[in-house]
Amino acid sequence: MKSKSFKAILRYLGRMLMAEGALMLLCLVPAFYFGDGTVVPIAASGAFTLALGAFVALTFKDFRTSDDRRMSYLLVTLIWITLSLFGTLPLLATGATIRFTDAFFEAMSGLTSTGATIFSSVEVLPASILMWRSMSQWFGGFGIILIVVALSPSLGINKYSLYTAEASGADNTGKMTTSTSTTVRRMLTIYVMLTFAFVIALIVSGMQIWDAVNITFTNISSGGFSIYDNSLAALTNPQQYIVAVAMLLSGVNFSLLYFFFTFQWKRIGHKLDQFGFYIGICIVAVLFVASALHFKMGESPMDALRMAIVQSISVMTTTGSLVADTSAWWLPITYLFVMLSFCGGMAGSTSGGLKVMRVIILMRNVGAVLRNRLHPNAVEPVRLNGKPVSPQIITNVMVVFFVFVFTIIMGVLAMMVCGINATEAIGAAVGCITGYGPGLGLSGGFGSYAAFTVPAKWVCSFLMLLGRLECLTVFVLFLRGFWRR
Amino acid sequence: MARISGQLLLVMGGMMVLSLAVSLYLHDGAAVALAKALGVIVAAGLLLCVVLGRKSTFEMYGRDSFWLTSIVWMLVPAAGALPYFFYGLGEGPTDTLFESVSGFTTTGSSITTLPELLPKGLLLWRSTTQWIGGLGLILFVVALNRRLASGSIQLYDAEFSGTQQRKLHPHIAVSVSRMWHIYTLLTIILIVALKFCGNGTFDSVTIALSTVSTGGFVTHSAGFANANSATFAVLTVFMFLSGVNVALLYNFFTLRWRHLKHSEEFVAYSVIFVVAVAVSVTSFLAENNLLKESVRYSLFHVASTLSTCGFYIDRPPHWSFPVSVLTFLLMFVGAMAGSTGGGLKIRRLMTLVRYLRNYMTRMIHPNVVFSIKIDRKTVPAEYVNKIFAFVFLYICFVTGGGFILTLCGSSIPEALSMAAANMANLGPSPLMDAAGSMPVYASLPIVSKCTLMVLMLAGRLEIFALLALVSPAYSLFKRQ
Repeated sequence: MKSKSFKAILRYLGRMLMAEGALMLLCLVPAFYFGDGTVVPIAASGAFTLALGAFVALTFKDFRTSDDRRMSYLLVTLIWITLSLFGTLPLLATGATIRFTDAFFEAMSGLTSTGATIFSSVEVLPASILMWRSMSQWFGGFGIILIVVALSPSLGINKYSLYTAEASGADNTGKMTTSTSTTVRRMLTIYVMLTFAFVIALIVSGMQIWDAVNITFTNISSGGFSIYDNSLAALTNPQQYIVAVAMLLSGVNFSLLYFFFTFQWKRIGHKLDQFGFYIGICIVAVLFVASALHFKMGESPMDALRMAIVQSISVMTTTGSLVADTSAWWLPITYLFVMLSFCGGMAGSTSGGLKVMRVIILMRNVGAVLRNRLHPNAVEPVRLNGKPVSPQIITNVMVVFFVFVFTIIMGVLAMMVCGINATEAIGAAVGCITGYGPGLGLSGGFGSYAAFTVPAKWVCSFLMLLGRLECLTVFVLFLRGFWRR
Repeated sequence: MARISGQLLLVMGGMMVLSLAVSLYLHDGAAVALAKALGVIVAAGLLLCVVLGRKSTFEMYGRDSFWLTSIVWMLVPAAGALPYFFYGLGEGPTDTLFESVSGFTTTGSSITTLPELLPKGLLLWRSTTQWIGGLGLILFVVALNRRLASGSIQLYDAEFSGTQQRKLHPHIAVSVSRMWHIYTLLTIILIVALKFCGNGTFDSVTIALSTVSTGGFVTHSAGFANANSATFAVLTVFMFLSGVNVALLYNFFTLRWRHLKHSEEFVAYSVIFVVAVAVSVTSFLAENNLLKESVRYSLFHVASTLSTCGFYIDRPPHWSFPVSVLTFLLMFVGAMAGSTGGGLKIRRLMTLVRYLRNYMTRMIHPNVVFSIKIDRKTVPAEYVNKIFAFVFLYICFVTGGGFILTLCGSSIPEALSMAAANMANLGPSPLMDAAGSMPVYASLPIVSKCTLMVLMLAGRLEIFALLALVSPAYSLFKRQ
């Protein structure tokens, strides 16, 4: 790595910090409006972050291009770590929590749009902090899209190296136009438009602006923080359905959404393998959960169906908003949720997990291997959207899957070493790495991670980072060859 | 095919005669059951062999080997369950089939709580099923039929999939019979050694049969708590050996030791063994502070887990927490490819780890070209793909099986642990709820037991063969 690269990294980090600082300052609006007495700490942390970011960005403003591929991995990892570090400032300054571990956990959970929280009650928090939590998730979702496509050309590196690093190597087909800046502008437009649309929809359904904004921010980013202790259960049924649609869309590939909303339906026509599978899994999950809720837990059919729809979508898109206290649900449902969140939403969306695209490729590859055993001489490639998938992409997918599983196992072990029991450890590890949020047991349902030991919280934070960056981006930094010149 | 299956049944019958003889000699009350079962098996064998299999040829093409695998693996465990069935073991046919499948797949999960109360004849039969299953039923078939040569390479492949087996001899039947010689030799040595250590003849034989096959049926509910230290040592060594590739053992016993040094998998196996023992010793020491005991227990424990034998000194609920976790991890690793053990197999994991390392290097240097080598031979890309697919399926089976187990009322860690233990053909499940007691398998609902049976078979047949055998509809369709 050249020192020039480091300086360029610092420049981009500075820019991101500026953006973060600006968002913190935005939280002054609720602070003033509700008069919750957090104006000074919020203003201070916002101004400090903004100033520091500006200073760094200006100092290194001359370092822009570098063809160092390693830099992109380092940059992406550092962005999330740095932003989380500074994201703790409002939490600590307002005294929402006094422990740095907790603040970092919460900030990381926000920026990775995970939704795991260490606050056993969020309703006692000042409005500005609630806003900051929602904002950080929205920003995290924003960031993931931004980084997927936008950063790469300005870094002067291969357009897809970051794309493969950050989002999903599987889907190179989803690019919309040749110009990356246009692509990113369109994706972000979609993101912002969706946000507006759902805020309005929620207001129309009779919600206060304050609630509508917060709920939209955390759900459109597939985040899952809430301003209520009982999450979505505090909403009316129609509102829950609106949120469900928002979550469902947050798990859809953004290019698909763009084509859909700009009426370029022809371009979607033959690309629905992933979408179909995504919806298919959702439907199966809903049917299972609904019947389990009805027959096993005695909910009325309509309630069971509603809760099943909202919660299954929330899990599948790894949002983590809760329609009821799921920790009290029948065990196989929670088990199913663990598997669903591992599967995750579509590639190229804000959701986490392995991504449906990869699951499809993994399954089809198994089919191909099996066919190959029965007919050793037949050549039948794995197909996606009718096109053969190249062997590199297949191995890429396999590697990501393997590393994901390995990381989860290691995470579970690490947490068990830190004194968390087996069930909780499995739930927390999967919840954090997939970006779902709630775990099993104490950390599941309306509970929180407050009772976790300090080391366990750090393990969780690390897992959230790993999950958001799909593990390898971070792991590659630990390679000896990485730091060699 | 009918003829081969018939032959297999007749040989099984022959082995059952031994159990029957023991039963008659000891008047243990199982003689009638064994005799009935023997009658049925011999009759079925003759029927298949003489009547249905008259026109059978020994030509085997492609898919036929999968058919044979599927038929053999359905028929034999069912036939093996007959003695238990006639004796009235457990509650109903599911239990007896469970015991039998667990035997032939060398898993060692048992529905009997107190094996010492069972008649000796049945105990011997249990261990015999494990011994037959040890090298795999198909290798048994191949060893029986040298004429199968043309199709046997596929058969061989059906049970040892995707691991690029080192063959002992260009002629498959010869290498298979060499493997059986080694296997039998090990068994005999172990029986003699156990006898020398002061065990009774009956115990020596049953334990030896269960050890060499990495089965793990015990004849006493106390396990090995009362075994003397010599027995301990002997068993540890043999469990370790049974986790070693049989071809490698052959080279060892025929004094071609340089092959051992060149086997990277063996080195990895030993390293994992040593590291695991070190971890285990530390955790034992933290509890009781007796160095010698700790080392001995740890060696035994780790050898038993890695080879997926499943003999333990103490019941899982009494294990310390780190030991449970270690056991859980080790059973995923499993033994060496081409051994009698189960699990993911060290060779596969080595390939994966090496591939991963290369992959990450390629993330930094996109234009570097690597090949993965094991034992100085390049592993082709398609093998890597197969291994990845295998690991994916393995995880799917464990989690999917776990899901069904939770549906039937198990807790999540318990379900995962049971699924993994049976998939790895280990037997005892290391993670349990605080209330967990030994006879977990007996008290499970029928659906759970069936799930575990499928998992045992999947683990033993390395999934692909199982999937190929449950898709006969597919092959029938294609045949038209």
